[in-house]
Amino acid sequence: MELLKVQNLSKIYGQGESQVKALWEVSFSMEKGEFAAVVGESGSGKSTLLHCVGGLDTPTGGKVLLDGEDLFALDEKKRTVFRRRNIGFIFQAFHLIEELNVEQNIAFPLLLDGQKPDQGKMEELLGLLGLFDRRKHLPSQLSGGQKQRVAIGRALIMRPMLILADEPTGNLDSKSSRDVMDLLIRASRNYQQTILMITHNDNLASDADRVFRVTDGHLTDMGGKTYEKLS
Amino acid sequence: MRNYLDLIPISQKLHKRQSRMTRLSIALSVFLVTAIFGMADMEIRSQNAQAKINYGEWHAGFAFMSDEEAALLAQRPKVMASTRYDTLNYKLNMHYQVEGNDSVIIGFDESALDIFPTARIIEGSFPKEEGGVIIDENMRQRLSLNLGDEITLFVPDGSQKTYYVTGILGQFPMLAKADAYGLVLSIEDFRKLSLEGAQDNYDSYIYVKFSPWCNIQKEIREIQKLFQIPEERIGRNELLLATIGQSRDLSMMAIYVVALLLAVLVSVAGILMITGSLNSNIAQRTEFFGMLRCLGASKEQVVRFVRREALCWCKTAVPAGGLLGMVVVWGLSALLRYLSPTYFGSMPYFGISLIGIFAGSVIGVITVFLAAKSPAKKASGVSPLTAVSGNASVKSQVKKAANPRFYRVETALGIYHAFGEHKNFWLMSCSFAFSIILFLTFSVAVDFMKHAVTPLDPGTPDVSMTSEGNSIDKNLTREIGKVDGVKRVYGRSFAYDVPVQTQRGDKKACLVSYDSCQFAWAGKSLLSQAGTKKRDILSEVMEGEGILAVYHGEDSLTVGERVAVDFGEGERQLMVSGILSKCPFRVSDGEEILICSEDTFQGLTGEDAYTIIDVQLTKRAGDDVVRKIRTIGANTLGEKRMSFSDRRLSNGEVKGAVWSFELFVYGFLGVIALICTFHIMNSIAMSVAARRGQYGAMRAVGMDGTQMLKMVAAEAVTYGVWGMLAGCALGLFFNWLCFDRLITLRWGTAWCFPVIPLGVILLVMVCSLAFAIYSPAKRIREMSVVDTISGKS
Repeated sequence: MELLKVQNLSKIYGQGESQVKALWEVSFSMEKGEFAAVVGESGSGKSTLLHCVGGLDTPTGGKVLLDGEDLFALDEKKRTVFRRRNIGFIFQAFHLIEELNVEQNIAFPLLLDGQKPDQGKMEELLGLLGLFDRRKHLPSQLSGGQKQRVAIGRALIMRPMLILADEPTGNLDSKSSRDVMDLLIRASRNYQQTILMITHNDNLASDADRVFRVTDGHLTDMGGKTYEKLS
Repeated sequence: MRNYLDLIPISQKLHKRQSRMTRLSIALSVFLVTAIFGMADMEIRSQNAQAKINYGEWHAGFAFMSDEEAALLAQRPKVMASTRYDTLNYKLNMHYQVEGNDSVIIGFDESALDIFPTARIIEGSFPKEEGGVIIDENMRQRLSLNLGDEITLFVPDGSQKTYYVTGILGQFPMLAKADAYGLVLSIEDFRKLSLEGAQDNYDSYIYVKFSPWCNIQKEIREIQKLFQIPEERIGRNELLLATIGQSRDLSMMAIYVVALLLAVLVSVAGILMITGSLNSNIAQRTEFFGMLRCLGASKEQVVRFVRREALCWCKTAVPAGGLLGMVVVWGLSALLRYLSPTYFGSMPYFGISLIGIFAGSVIGVITVFLAAKSPAKKASGVSPLTAVSGNASVKSQVKKAANPRFYRVETALGIYHAFGEHKNFWLMSCSFAFSIILFLTFSVAVDFMKHAVTPLDPGTPDVSMTSEGNSIDKNLTREIGKVDGVKRVYGRSFAYDVPVQTQRGDKKACLVSYDSCQFAWAGKSLLSQAGTKKRDILSEVMEGEGILAVYHGEDSLTVGERVAVDFGEGERQLMVSGILSKCPFRVSDGEEILICSEDTFQGLTGEDAYTIIDVQLTKRAGDDVVRKIRTIGANTLGEKRMSFSDRRLSNGEVKGAVWSFELFVYGFLGVIALICTFHIMNSIAMSVAARRGQYGAMRAVGMDGTQMLKMVAAEAVTYGVWGMLAGCALGLFFNWLCFDRLITLRWGTAWCFPVIPLGVILLVMVCSLAFAIYSPAKRIREMSVVDTISGKS
């Protein structure tokens, strides 16, 4: 079942001679539960792609349809609520709320949505993340790997259809990177969530079902396990 | 780049917004201090000018001193000028007259011309020989005299003295108001006149002007000791001494204490504003300083960097704030000059208040330098590791998690942001509190002004003509009204000692007639009555269906009371329709003042003429208009029957005092309110800017614009509420303290809760907070999430 459909997505910065095509006519789609990696050189347009797909940045042209909903046809407020409920973000620099503890950070999107966190589900998630014992800790008391697990928990709590991860292992050592990847893959499988992840690490990209390469704003589908399986 | 410190201008260019806000904050503080100190300086100068005009430039006066003592006194090194001074017929009750007109005789030495600026010879010179006299301009005009002409002074004992005119003095307000002549003799001629005349209470007075910068009180004590002068024979020009900081008068000392308190409060407010701003600026760049340390900068280098950066902000912010403050002072000076050229004409258009500039600059630069010390230390203490680990700016400060149990998460975070950084919280709350404290403390000046200076009533005339009995024909008002330069003419008829019967027994009353114009002015002091409009009360009286009475205590007449009067044609009943809280004339104790319409007055007394005619002139009307009015009056009534009073100069004195005080007081309050608004807006904007990255992350994980607004609002309101609570508590205390020292001590009025000032400043605070929240919250809503989370902001 097709969950994400990106059509002719373009993002252009500047005008005239100083014009830069960060993304140009990018089109692809992803199935529900699919895990795709985006690779490419620095400055190739990977992050711009992720930000546009997640509705954080407004594209110059094209469409992003998530579960049939055109993201940029919604007004700002509706898009925020839609994003909060349906898209989870994981950043390289974690971007946790320093004033909230682990449990509160994970529950943050729920709280913003006016929902009360279900204690059972929270404990299950904390267990899955391996953070149960540290649930009352502040981000400043955690290691980098633990912080990223909190960020993953925050992205998962709303059970979003799509998770966008921007180099989630970029700040982590190899063991922590492995843990984070395992978590993402498990989430993708358990909750049938679609994951689009930027990475520089070819080994991590090989865990993905599909690999996209972005070069100078153009996207190439490199195939992957799914592709290999289908072929 | 030759030096690592050259990074400062580059860094400032990159962080334009942050730099601008810090500069704005420093400039505002400098502006506040410069404007307030500058305005105070200008007010002192204006008071000094008024004191010199009203009382003279003398500092001390010594009574009953011999000529030898006076000569010795004049020789003292710290005595700049001194004069012997005496007057005759000062109260116009001794019948010294020239051409039938009461005259005041003044005798002094020529040096008095340096001590009394109003005694300005506009033509001729001081009498050098016996028999010379200086006359005032009014006398010269009325008697058509020239230099060298002779005048004859009629002395109460029946003798006559002849003098020749050697000089002309400018006009004196007191003489013009009393329609008297002024004659100045040399002290020798004066003594001859007073010893030969009926003067038995001879007062020889020495006025002394001391050198600038000398300790006047000490010098007076030395003179007192040397000549053994008892304290009661020493007079001091307290207002002039107060304006040069040399008064030891208790009430003046109380003013000094209050002025010192206000100066300290203003300085502290400036210091708090700058410290808060620098603290916020440096705190949000901890990561940057960590990076400097990471690249090899020593702690000392970071400290030097922060200090130099702070001084760089001063380079533009201090002159900008100082200049802005001076512009306000210039505006004030120009306004004073425009409103009262007589008094403030000597004030420069672009006067420089050195005190204001000095206070603003010193407080600005020193505060910035000292305030930079703490964040510089903090910045130098940043571990190089924090620079590369992310979230460095707040890492060290969060010790306890926010509690979203009682509020929604965005509100809880906002409150937590406010309380999270203790130092910032105290600085922000304290600077909010100080705005309230300053406003409440300065607002006492309004009460002081109301007690110290009585403004002119709208009905105050410029010129008045009085005649005995009701003998001024009403047609005279019409005739005078036709004179070009006359704005308004109105008259009143009086019936004195009218026997009246009231519910409290028989009394005497003074019956006065008003025209419609005077009734309109009286409306302002008409006491309110439940269910009846003032307009209706006045209409009733104007139509002859009632009278107005004046409140004079518990024994006053009351509304609805009937008063019986009898003017010989049978008793008439008059009903009191309204009570006035005050009126422009006075009667003896226990006597009633009854005000009625002109028709009622005529109906009761049968008289259809005025006792007094008041004339108000247009702004451009000059002496020629007054002369014309006088001539018309004299031709109609006869010079002998008419008493003429030119009040323009004395009105000018009152107006000058009121305007300068009002401008000073309301200017202060305006500046404080303005600074309060700007400061709150800038502080909240800075606080929000410091968390920009964090807000971006919150937006990315789903916080919408309304929630963002609520979070910023919660933070701002937390500062505001704490600031308001502390500000109200301390502000009310200082308000009481200043009221007690300035007003209760002097006039005995008890302190009452300052509802209006408190309401005004709280309203200003709430509106400023609303603006302060709206603007940055709007900016956050419009900001690019991508830019903020990727640290491009």
